[in-house]
Amino acid sequence: MNRILAIFRKDTLLRFTSPIEWAFFLILPIFFTFLLGGGTGSSSDQRIHFFVVDQADSPLSAALITELERSSAVRPSVMSYEEAISEFNERQISAVLILPPRFTIETLQAGGVEVELRQQPNNVRAFAIQQGVNTALTRVSSAVDIAAASTSRAELITPFPSPDQKQAFFNAALEDAYAQLKQAPQRLAEVSAGTEDKIQYDPNANSAAGQMITWVFIPLIGLSAMFAMERQLGTLRRVLVTPTSKATYLAGTVLGQVLTAVLQMVILVGFGALVLKLKWANAPAATALIIVTSALAAGALGTMLGTFVKTEAQGNGLSIMIGMVMAMMGGCWYPIELFPAVIRSAAQALPTYWSMQGMLDILVRGQGVRGVLLESALLLGFALVFFIIGVARFKYE
Amino acid sequence: MTTRKLFQIALKDLRLIFRDRSALVLMLLAPFLLTLGMGAITGRFSGSDTNSGVSDIPVALVNQDGAQLGDALVEMFTSADLDALLAPALLTDPAAARAAVDNDEYAAAILIPAGFTASIIPSPAQSAPPHPVQVEFYANPTRPTSAGILKAILEAFLGRVEVSRIAGQVTVSRLLEDGIISADQAVQVGMSAAEEMAQSTDAGSTIRLVTTMEGGGAVAFDILAYMAPGMALMFLMFTVTYGARSLLVENRQGTLARMLISPTTSTQVLGGKVLGIFLTAITQLLILIGGTSLLFRLQWGNPLAVVVLVLAAAFAATGWGMIIAAFLKTPGQIASVGSAVMLIFGLLGGSFFDITMLPKWVQTLSKVSPNAWGMEGFLDLARGGGMAVVRTPVIALLIMGALLFIAASFWLSRRGLARQ
Repeated sequence: MNRILAIFRKDTLLRFTSPIEWAFFLILPIFFTFLLGGGTGSSSDQRIHFFVVDQADSPLSAALITELERSSAVRPSVMSYEEAISEFNERQISAVLILPPRFTIETLQAGGVEVELRQQPNNVRAFAIQQGVNTALTRVSSAVDIAAASTSRAELITPFPSPDQKQAFFNAALEDAYAQLKQAPQRLAEVSAGTEDKIQYDPNANSAAGQMITWVFIPLIGLSAMFAMERQLGTLRRVLVTPTSKATYLAGTVLGQVLTAVLQMVILVGFGALVLKLKWANAPAATALIIVTSALAAGALGTMLGTFVKTEAQGNGLSIMIGMVMAMMGGCWYPIELFPAVIRSAAQALPTYWSMQGMLDILVRGQGVRGVLLESALLLGFALVFFIIGVARFKYE
Repeated sequence: MTTRKLFQIALKDLRLIFRDRSALVLMLLAPFLLTLGMGAITGRFSGSDTNSGVSDIPVALVNQDGAQLGDALVEMFTSADLDALLAPALLTDPAAARAAVDNDEYAAAILIPAGFTASIIPSPAQSAPPHPVQVEFYANPTRPTSAGILKAILEAFLGRVEVSRIAGQVTVSRLLEDGIISADQAVQVGMSAAEEMAQSTDAGSTIRLVTTMEGGGAVAFDILAYMAPGMALMFLMFTVTYGARSLLVENRQGTLARMLISPTTSTQVLGGKVLGIFLTAITQLLILIGGTSLLFRLQWGNPLAVVVLVLAAAFAATGWGMIIAAFLKTPGQIASVGSAVMLIFGLLGGSFFDITMLPKWVQTLSKVSPNAWGMEGFLDLARGGGMAVVRTPVIALLIMGALLFIAASFWLSRRGLARQ
């Protein structure tokens, strides 16, 4: 045990001698988590902001803008065409809704109108804005559609004596339609599955968990570089001629890095809970289980990789590349549900996938230890397989 | 002679870096793999039209209504129109459906209770308005996007049903008030009006939403045209810091001193090394552009404009590499800081997602990175722009590079590096 602790102390001192190491250990993970985990939201209004260009200035466009302002998902701001397009081209805004001059009730009565929603590419906010705008358009157009249908029906039974009387009928029907739509009963009851206390999905939780896994996996896979460095410098050979078994050396090196990673995750979890108000504290035992098993799986992968790489530079390069690819494919950067079915299935071969699922079970589904047992068991399985391969190859050092 | 020495030193460094397999992993293999991965994630390689991999969303349907509207709802979710998007399953037990959602087998369960149709289409014998009956949408919280899509489809259906019902009511109430129909005609007229409205809403709304990505109509945008430059620019920072690192490595190993005692001035040595970094950066970007164009059939845009943008981005990035080398003391420090800068610039510059999703102050801050300007230029080129659209990014990158070079030269000379 003393030797293991001595190796752990040596590695920790070596690693944290350079102040730059603190950038990777704490500063960058906190920076990325804060930025992507929603920590920068200064406004109390969390709705997605977008611009509306009202070229019609009609009662219909006013009704649409009122409907958009009532939305729980999006927040419109009316701008001139030039200002809106300028900001859009500078990528300062996710989408711009352009209401053309002919956006009037009369045009709808006559057959319909098109409105343009200009969106930035690769922008999920733009997609959400599209949904919000569609909902508002449906509500506004429905009243006009109902009034137009009623008027047509009345005209079929008895033609109107004059256009004024037809318009009066239409206006009265439109008023009725607005009133009835406003009083329409709720036909949909939404229930969130698997959560006892109605935990709402929080996209910030997804980002925070994903960033944590990314920033912990990369340095742990970078264990491979540490092995390669010691091999290159000759210190590994010197350690192994001492009365220190290979098992002790491995245990000290790997467990030391895993403990450091666990400490790093605890700090990030604390940051997430206190600053970003994430629900890590809901299930501390489950959180601890996922943290430890994830660190073991990553450390084992780094150990295995360390027996394949020849130089420290190779190890560093591969750890960044493999860490980033595994994080991305495991759903740490983008929600896994967005992936095609084939990719979703293939991702289950990665430890990052199961780490992410375990953290989402805690943060989003509000599950406890029982809910993350499967993920923890699989992560331990990964750790075992990687360790067996790594130790088997290390025997021949 | 001077130029020849510059190029000799530059080509020497270029050869060295391209012989270093570990450097090639991060210069070429990593951006390529990440671009490939992102393309797979977004369904780009599966021929998806939506620039998203969302398809075959699993949904459980339980229809206890057994009447017109319940059947219509099930028919809609199982229709051929939604075949590519949804993977519906018809179940009979609501509890089993909920349990399956809890087990993450479905993105949601839609439970249509008994009496749903009767609550909307009352029987003629009914005197009082029917009590509203709600459809239960049991959502999987770990699949918010899929559940959101299902909810939007369900809400659209329920919205059309409600509009049809109200159309019938409004038509009847107005016709009765104006004396156009009598009370015993009300039911017939109301049903007919509602059915007609249902058919017209199926055909589409009178307000049609057209989505575009640039003025003048919809443009088919290749999502890889966003991802590929993002990854190329991010790993460009690794390349330039690796090259800058070589300056300190040569200083440590003594090869720099040997070069300086040859008939080569310190300016030529430094200039050659900077040129080497610049050429390496250009080569990296051109290989990635060529590779993605050939393998993924990616259209980067106007070739001349792409080359000009590549030169400008490489110039600015090289400036950053030199300023990092000027301030740091050891190759190890440069390697660590280089990796950190690579990731930060990648995030700020929009390599992972559109930065309009980030706060304004972050978007302003991102302008210090060559990534942000490079992304702006490459995106505009991918949308079909020519030389004119890259003018601003190119000028910004050249100014950035020039300022960084001046600062780096000043600091390096103060340190006495490469001094004879």
